[in-house]
Amino acid sequence: MSATRTLAPGSVAPATGPAPAARRRSGSRRLEELSKVLFVVPAALAIVALFGYPVVKNVTMSFQDYGLKTFFTGEAPFVGLDNYVTVVSDAVFSKAVVNTALFTLGSIAGQFVLGMLLALFFHRSFPLSGVLRALFLLPWLLPLIVGSAAWRAIMEQDSGILNLTLERLGVVDTPVPWLTSPNVALLAVVLVNIWLGIPFNLTLLYSGLQDIPDELYEAGALDGATGWRAFWQITWPNLRPVVSVVLMLGVIYTLKVLDIILGLTQGGPANATQTIAIQSYQRSFVEFTFGEGAALSNILIVISLVFAVIYLRANRRQVDE
Amino acid sequence: MPTTTTSTAETSARETTARPRTRASRRRARGPVRTAIAIVLLALLLFPVYWMLNISLQPSGNALSGTFFPAHPSLDGYRSAVADQGGHLLISLLVASGTVVVTLVVAAPCAYALAQFRFRWISWALLAILISQMIPGIVIANALYTAYERLGLLDSVPGLIIANSANAIPFGILIMRSFMLGVPPSIVEAARVDGAGLVRAFLSIVVPISRNSLITVGLFAFLFAWSDFVFALTLTTKGQVVPVTLGIYTYLGAHIANWSAVMATAVLASIPAIVLLVVAQRYIAAGATGGAVK
Amino acid sequence: MTTNKITTMLTRRRTTRWAAVAALAALAPLSLAACGGGGSAGSSGGDAGATVSSLKVLDYYTDEPGKTQIGDMLNACGTSIGVGSIEREAVPGPTLIQKVLQQASSKSLPDVLMLDNPDIQQIADTGALAPLGDFGLTADGYAPGPVAAATADGKLYGLQPGANTIAIFYRKDVLEKAGVKPPTTWDELRTAAKKLTVGKQYGFAFNATADYEGAWQFLPPMWTNGGDETDLKSPQVAQALQLWKDLVDDGSASKSVVNWKQSDVNDQFIAGKAAMMLNGPWQEPALDKAKVDYGVVPFPVNTAGQTSVAPLGGEAWTVPMTGDKARMAKAAELVKCMNSDDNQMLRAKQGGLVPTKLALASQFKSEVPAMAGFTDAVGQARARTGKLGAKWPDTAKTIYTGVQLVLTGQAAPADAMAKAGA
Repeated sequence: MSATRTLAPGSVAPATGPAPAARRRSGSRRLEELSKVLFVVPAALAIVALFGYPVVKNVTMSFQDYGLKTFFTGEAPFVGLDNYVTVVSDAVFSKAVVNTALFTLGSIAGQFVLGMLLALFFHRSFPLSGVLRALFLLPWLLPLIVGSAAWRAIMEQDSGILNLTLERLGVVDTPVPWLTSPNVALLAVVLVNIWLGIPFNLTLLYSGLQDIPDELYEAGALDGATGWRAFWQITWPNLRPVVSVVLMLGVIYTLKVLDIILGLTQGGPANATQTIAIQSYQRSFVEFTFGEGAALSNILIVISLVFAVIYLRANRRQVDE
Repeated sequence: MPTTTTSTAETSARETTARPRTRASRRRARGPVRTAIAIVLLALLLFPVYWMLNISLQPSGNALSGTFFPAHPSLDGYRSAVADQGGHLLISLLVASGTVVVTLVVAAPCAYALAQFRFRWISWALLAILISQMIPGIVIANALYTAYERLGLLDSVPGLIIANSANAIPFGILIMRSFMLGVPPSIVEAARVDGAGLVRAFLSIVVPISRNSLITVGLFAFLFAWSDFVFALTLTTKGQVVPVTLGIYTYLGAHIANWSAVMATAVLASIPAIVLLVVAQRYIAAGATGGAVK
Repeated sequence: MTTNKITTMLTRRRTTRWAAVAALAALAPLSLAACGGGGSAGSSGGDAGATVSSLKVLDYYTDEPGKTQIGDMLNACGTSIGVGSIEREAVPGPTLIQKVLQQASSKSLPDVLMLDNPDIQQIADTGALAPLGDFGLTADGYAPGPVAAATADGKLYGLQPGANTIAIFYRKDVLEKAGVKPPTTWDELRTAAKKLTVGKQYGFAFNATADYEGAWQFLPPMWTNGGDETDLKSPQVAQALQLWKDLVDDGSASKSVVNWKQSDVNDQFIAGKAAMMLNGPWQEPALDKAKVDYGVVPFPVNTAGQTSVAPLGGEAWTVPMTGDKARMAKAAELVKCMNSDDNQMLRAKQGGLVPTKLALASQFKSEVPAMAGFTDAVGQARARTGKLGAKWPDTAKTIYTGVQLVLTGQAAPADAMAKAGA
């Protein structure tokens, strides 16, 4: 029962109790420390209760022969590194690794740059800017299955509106095989993912910009920091904590993208859009070899961890400054 | 306040009260141009959304149609959507709003603590939080199913709120912490000298000046919960608590798809949500921190 | 409250604080698990012979009108076997097995479970399903396809009330105007498709997506030509791949087939962008609604003397091992009722299916003449899992990958299956 209770918002309440008392008995540093810790406790409990088990389970599963039967019998023999060997020696694995890298890099670069430009654009307020900015979030309100269906229709090779428009504008002579050619499909999937990522980057970076105190710009202007110089000397350094967390989360979320690729190409054509996440999903939920699926998702987690460590080191420097 | 300022990309639009008149008027003159550009950009970005609208009005539910406008608009899709999906829409709104509240209440104090208190284990805590974001959603959902089954939380709005908050809390902590790194410790200390406890200082000073990040995290908590499919699917079993993302499967069979009704549902359902987002976004204002420092 | 205890510990010293966090991390899942105890719906019923007031049912009929039709039929059956209420859950098709696994691991499986026929053997293989023979049910008088699909290790695990398959749909008016007859051989299919390709209209449309649907649509050419899932590297399979390739290379079928699901194929057909298509009878309501004038013929043969073989489709009702004998017995009664003659006929008419009891075939043909073509095809239809059983999914993956490699020009028909992992 403790787990449910800790999840309730009410569990913040104990924090309010001891704190004022601590102030009255001045010098009671212990209680001061305690009340500081209490700021963290509800979130810590929530995270441990909700994620502790899945994390551990995901690790153990990857060392087990965990198949359909396991769900009914509970038996999952230990197989050491077999699952890892199987997934890594798969013919499609190296392709999936390259695709994952290209997909993540392309998506993040596109989303971040466009998101940043839009955030800077909206940073100066103008008539209707609030409403228009909010409307940029609309893609996130539509179920992904709907979004990918619309994109599939738009990117249809013969009759899709994208090719019709490009042909009419004279940009291309022959229809682009967006989702049907192994050479183009990954690019198409990246484009759709950029589309989906722009609102995320725009909204977070915009709020970050708004949080930079005016005084800094005013002081900077006195020193002649205007235009791009102001951006590099004032905006960028002050925005860095937000930029780094946006990039960090962007990488983590992009590495595990499933729905868009499944909705657009299902990893096809001819494995052209296979990523590690798609492979993991297919092994777990199409082939029901959950041990292998877990092995792949752990490989993804290790890749994410590399980025996380870079983030944390950069972050420590920021805090120390 | 400095009065001699040059118009720069970053400063000219700032909503500060003491602004030279000339700049304000120049801003006003350039405003409509920017509005026009913004509308064009928005139109480009929302084209797929228009396409959904277009499909939703096609009579045959044909998802691959190539006409720019629905030639013979049919409201069949909307008729079925209104008739079938009203209750689902309400559930989605309840779950998403509940998730916002739970996420902010749990994540904000933690974010503040991780940003301002000098705990030694902060890097480890951040690492743990980051790891929680790396786990595939379905793995978490599967674990929650087993727990919920025993705790009787299946098929309940609170159950879905907790699950969606689980996703949003770590996200919220990371985002709000990065914003709260910029809160000057001096203003909190000033309040403490005046006799405010840690909690009161947090509520009366940190929360108001962190408004931007709180709203932003709230927005995303709402959006995460609103678009969730995995938790909705996994943690409901009886068809009593059905959010819209699951409800559209009324039109998506194993073999057949009625895309016009699917798209109509998506379009209709997004209307109340977008109103909420527009209202919330209005409160993200410039220079919140700056104002407090004065 | 454990929280207080832990927080006092936390303040004591840094080392103990860490220990406490670690302990908490280890405890949380346990406390979650310890709370509820065993009680699941399955085991709460009591001894055999006790009355069963409700049954839990799981299926994937989420869309109308099937959702209501199945619901009504389940309720009517529930009443007729004396079960007060049916607690029914319908989940989206692609997520059904996932749901079954979740419920299996928490011992909350439904009393009656609907499964797509190629999944039955895999699930039965885990020991999750009860042999229907235990409750005195047999599949005597059923078409061989559905029985093969539902049989593992000689035991019957499911009864399938209705079956379907895929065949060639053609637009009568378009073919007539072009002076083309519905094809009966592969050569005719190619020439007809080529002739029918005019302007924005392709001659033929099929589905070759990177999923089980793409594999399923490849089976008519593969099986009709004598190819077999146990030997994918055979020339017969390569010839079938060549047919798909020729149709696309001729320009008679869109290159987009690698990304068209069966519902997309149907959309193309309705929109007049395909004169013929490979599809199933479940599309007929949509075709009728769009007032398409269409006919249906079996998939053509490669050489004279071959018979057209199509894959068996349709869903079966099974009884999971919930451990409660009384409930399982009632569940079997429900499965039996869903397969009664009347319900087979009703379900067939509602769902564009063919009754699986051979004795009903002639009556069905006379009552629903439009389905006559499919009725014969279903009599011949072959189950995907008939030979490979639980190994079918691996093979299906090879098939759809091979098809995609050929259609995107990454491999020649002769070695595509080898390259795909066969």
